Formats: sequence, structure tokens, C-alpha cells
Amino acid sequence: MPPSFRILEDIAVADVAFEAIGDTPSELFVAAAQAVIEMLANPMTVSKTWYRTIELEDELFTDLLFDWLSEMVYLKDAEGVVFCQATATVVHEPLRNRWRLHGELIGEVIDSTRHELRSDVKAVTKHLYEVSEHEGQWKARVVLDI
Amino acid sequence: MDLNTHMTVSRITDQIWEIPTSEKEGMRVPARIYATETILTDMDSGVFEQVTNVACLPGIRRYALCMPDGHWGYGFPIGGVAAFDPDEGIISPGGVGYDVNCGMRLIRTDLTLSDVKPRLEPLMTELFRKVPAGVGSKGSVRLNRRDFDDVMRKGAKWCVEHGYGWTEDLERIEERGCINYANPSNVSDRAVERGHSQLGTLGAGNHYLEVQVVSNNRIFDMETAAAFGITGHDQIVVMVHCGSRGFGHQIASDYLKSFEKAMRRHGITVKDQQLACAPFRSPEGQDYFAAMNCAANSAFANRQVITHHIREAFTTVFGLSAEELGMHLVYDVAHNIAKVERYAEGDLVVHRKGATRAFGPGRPELPELYRRTGQPVICGGSMETGSYLLAGTKHAMHETFGSTMHGSGRTMSRAQAKKTVSGEQIRKQMEQRGIIVKAVSASGLAEEAGLAYKNISDVVETVELAGITKKVAELRPIGNIKG
Repeated sequence: MPPSFRILEDIAVADVAFEAIGDTPSELFVAAAQAVIEMLANPMTVSKTWYRTIELEDELFTDLLFDWLSEMVYLKDAEGVVFCQATATVVHEPLRNRWRLHGELIGEVIDSTRHELRSDVKAVTKHLYEVSEHEGQWKARVVLDI
Repeated sequence: MDLNTHMTVSRITDQIWEIPTSEKEGMRVPARIYATETILTDMDSGVFEQVTNVACLPGIRRYALCMPDGHWGYGFPIGGVAAFDPDEGIISPGGVGYDVNCGMRLIRTDLTLSDVKPRLEPLMTELFRKVPAGVGSKGSVRLNRRDFDDVMRKGAKWCVEHGYGWTEDLERIEERGCINYANPSNVSDRAVERGHSQLGTLGAGNHYLEVQVVSNNRIFDMETAAAFGITGHDQIVVMVHCGSRGFGHQIASDYLKSFEKAMRRHGITVKDQQLACAPFRSPEGQDYFAAMNCAANSAFANRQVITHHIREAFTTVFGLSAEELGMHLVYDVAHNIAKVERYAEGDLVVHRKGATRAFGPGRPELPELYRRTGQPVICGGSMETGSYLLAGTKHAMHETFGSTMHGSGRTMSRAQAKKTVSGEQIRKQMEQRGIIVKAVSASGLAEEAGLAYKNISDVVETVELAGITKKVAELRPIGNIKG
């Protein structure tokens, strides 16, 4: 099953909640990033003219995912960009007790005349935040502050 | 009564409902919800859960409160008010909100509907051009790091010193637009990088700039309205709703993360991770307070630069200076903030999250201009239904730590709103009713449809019947800018 996400309509009256799904940790990170990408703007209207490599690591898988999504929100404001694509490779290094992410974000500096802009995601919250793995399927529930 | 909670909720008055401490282990004070029976019945389960969680926080005094526009939020409910002893109690970013000093500003004019209506389209076009809105919008004020540090320390005062506004504006802003205990060294580089280019921008979501009209038959207190500069006769006013943008959000995120560790050091446990807090007097608590005030000052500055651009837009369209157009500020209020204020118990750290300060007559913090009437309170409704100008009361000082509602409160999720109506439908419906809408995002417009909000008139009636605020005027929208 390809990585995917769905909006959780009955959670978060004032903001947006989603559930991301993947068959591997890497796919989960891609799915969650895709949710943020599509919250911000229609990726079909965003060209590939801006690139950023993200290298992060954390002891906790849940915190690594949180930091990955938070990095996207930070770059949106700090660099004034929206995204069209994300890739992610997440590995566990048991000897170091660390999870490590190598991610790439692709997008474009915001142009309101060409981009179909949607919601201004301002923070990733810990409200109802949950990451789980069951029978090989990885899921994350995330509430974004809009 | 069929409420969205299993807890016992007792009627104190027709507008005040109480959940006793016996209803949840750890509650130090009762919880009180200000609502009519109808509003209370419609309140989501999160309100009851969250207001009773707040009641468990160390050092809380009297009651954990929720205003009638309340709905669930992060940690505190939206509409939440709680006051803490500064020596025994805590400070919590969850009690302030991510958007530090999200707030409202109202500007009056001498123009009437008959002056503006023939030029409403060019006016809204010029406002849309002058005030950046939407995802990633950048302001026209270029700041280096040292300038931004000055904005953090001085707030709206920095803006007036640099030609954005009038000296008299400062008197008509809560805290005179500058909170003193602000320290830029407590703010992360990431927060600065997110915020330094956003000064003078509206943002998106439920933030807006609205041109409104005040008719004589919608003024409820002529004397107080006149003191506020509201003269009726289809007078045109302008309302702004926005906050500290990415800067404030990053500060909130930074300190929510660091408070998780601080709580372990101080032996504090909370019912909800988003209630992460630290003792107010602790180094962590003071660091957050100083950083929060930087964000608060940046929001005051943000609304001040926007005001300058609004005045410029009106001058361009009407060919008269803002002074000639009588474009004085009525007031600027914060509805996401924590402040040290003095009550009968002494100084308290009052958290208002989606709640507005509503200081009554005689309060020394108010400018001389409003000391007889009590302060103006500006409450925004949905873009379709209109807003209210209210006044603070002495009763609020005794009942709710000088606090009241902030707006309508949402009843429907953004996803549900977009399924029910499209942005284009909303825009056309509003135009048919004589309201011009300029929006950066069509989907964002649908999310903000009036059907997604409580009826603000019901909420306003509640706070008036409770005696914590009094109605002064209803403000009807004729033009709206959204991100």
C-alpha cells in the first residue's frame, strides 16, 4: 500500500488533523510530509525550483517525526516557500539508540499569483499526537495549528 | 439537561455553571463555565474535560473559567481564563495559545456608508494590495536582527518612533502596546527567522481585516459609544484580527518542548501534555514570560503597521489625510496572553486564551480616556454575521479576573465547512448581501463560512446578562480581507 494520509474531520474544530499511513518508517514520514504539503498549497501549482536536504536524529521515533514536520513549518516561514514533494529515509541505529532521518524537500518560493495557497500551517501540536506500528503498518495522528 | 459530559454540572445562575472539585481527582478549585443553557448544551466534550484539567494546575485561584464562546483547544479550552499565585503557581504556554497576543483592533473614521459605498471596490482592492495576507506573506518593513530586537522590546512604540502611526495610538492599545518584561535573549533564532519578515502582515485562517458600518439602531449605549468615538449614523469603522504570526508560534512551540523537561525537574505532573508548565518564579517560567512578552510586543507592532497601511489605503482612495478622515484608534486588545494583574488576593498571573481583558471603570491600567466608561472590548464574529464593541465592567473584576469572551467560537471543523460550501459560493452569497470579499485562498474562505461559527449575538447576550461586559454597538461587515 503506498504511503497515504486522510483528514480526520471530527477532530480539531479550529485546526486540522490527519492520519498518515505507511508500510515502513520512511513511508510514514513521506505520508505525513505529504499531508503538510497539501495543507499549505496545491502541489500541482508548485514548481521544483527550491531544494533542501534535512538531516535529523532523535532517540525517540515519535519525536523525530514531530521534528520533521516542524522543520517544514519553520522553512515555510523562514524561507517563504511551499512544497510539492518530499522524500525521506528513516533508519534505526540500535547501537547508538538513535533514529536517523535523511529527508529532502522540494518546492518553490511562494508566489500568490501562481500558487493555489490553502491554509497557513503555523505549528505541529502534541494534541492527540500518536505514532504506532501494528503488523507492519505505521500510523501517525497529527493535529496542526492553522 | 443533555450535556456532552458525564460530569455533574450545577447551575449557579442562568449564565454560570459549576463543576465541583469532586468531579475530577486533582482539582484544586471548581470549574465555572459562562453560558446560557442552550450554549452549554452545545459545548463540545473537550470544554468540560479541559477546564477541569486546568483546575488541577498548581497555584490556581478561585475557579478555572471558560467563556461562552468556548470550545476545545490545546491544553486550555479556547475561552479559558485562569489566574495563578505568582509564588506558588505556574505559567503555561497552553494557557496563552500558540498565537501569542492574537487580538483585535478597531479604528474609527468620520466616513459614512454613503461616502464609502460608491468607492468600496477600489477601497477593498487597495486594502488587499497594502496589507499582505495568506500563507508566507511578507511585510514591507525590512528589519535586521537589531531592529527586530527593538520591536520585541518596544512593540507598537517602535512603530510610532519609525513613522508607523501616531503618538496618540499608544494610549489606545492595551499596555500602551509595549509590555516591559520582554527579553530577546530568551527567543530562539528559529523564532526570529520565522518572524522578522512578517511585520505588518495579516496571516490567514480566521484572521482578517474588515470594513464595517455602525448604524444608529445598532448602538445600545449611546454615551459609552460616543466616549469610544462611535457616533453612528452609518459610520464606517475598520477592524483587524491578527497576532504574532510565525514568531509567536515558534516561541510557543519552543517553550512547550522545554517545559516538558522543566516539569520533571520541578516535580509537576499535568493531565494533558499541552498543559506543560513551569513555576512562574522559576528560571524556566521567567524565561518563557520574557519570550512571550517579546511575541506580544511583536503582535502589537504587527497591528500597528497594519493600521498605518489602512490609513494609507483610505488616503489613496478618498484623497484626504487619515487625520482629516478622523481615523483614530478606538482600542487594541489581546485575547491570547498571560499578564500579572492585581486583584483582591494580590498580584496574580492571569492567563486568557481566546478570552479578552474587560477592565471596568476606575481601573488604573486604563487610559484616562476610558477610565470613566471601562475599556472597549472588541469581539469578532464570523465574516458573514458581524462583530461587537463592548465595554468592561466592575462586575467582571470580581467575577472573571476582568475577563470576557473574544469572538463567536467555532462549531464545525474546517474540513466539514469545506464539504458544506465552496469559497466561491461564499464569496457570491456575501456579495449579494453587499459584502465585498478579497481572499488569498478560496478554500480558506470556505473554512471561515458563517455556518461554522456560533451565533455571536447569543454569546454577547450571555456575557451581558452575566454582567461581565455590556453591549455598546453592533458592527456590520461591508468588506473583508482574508488570507
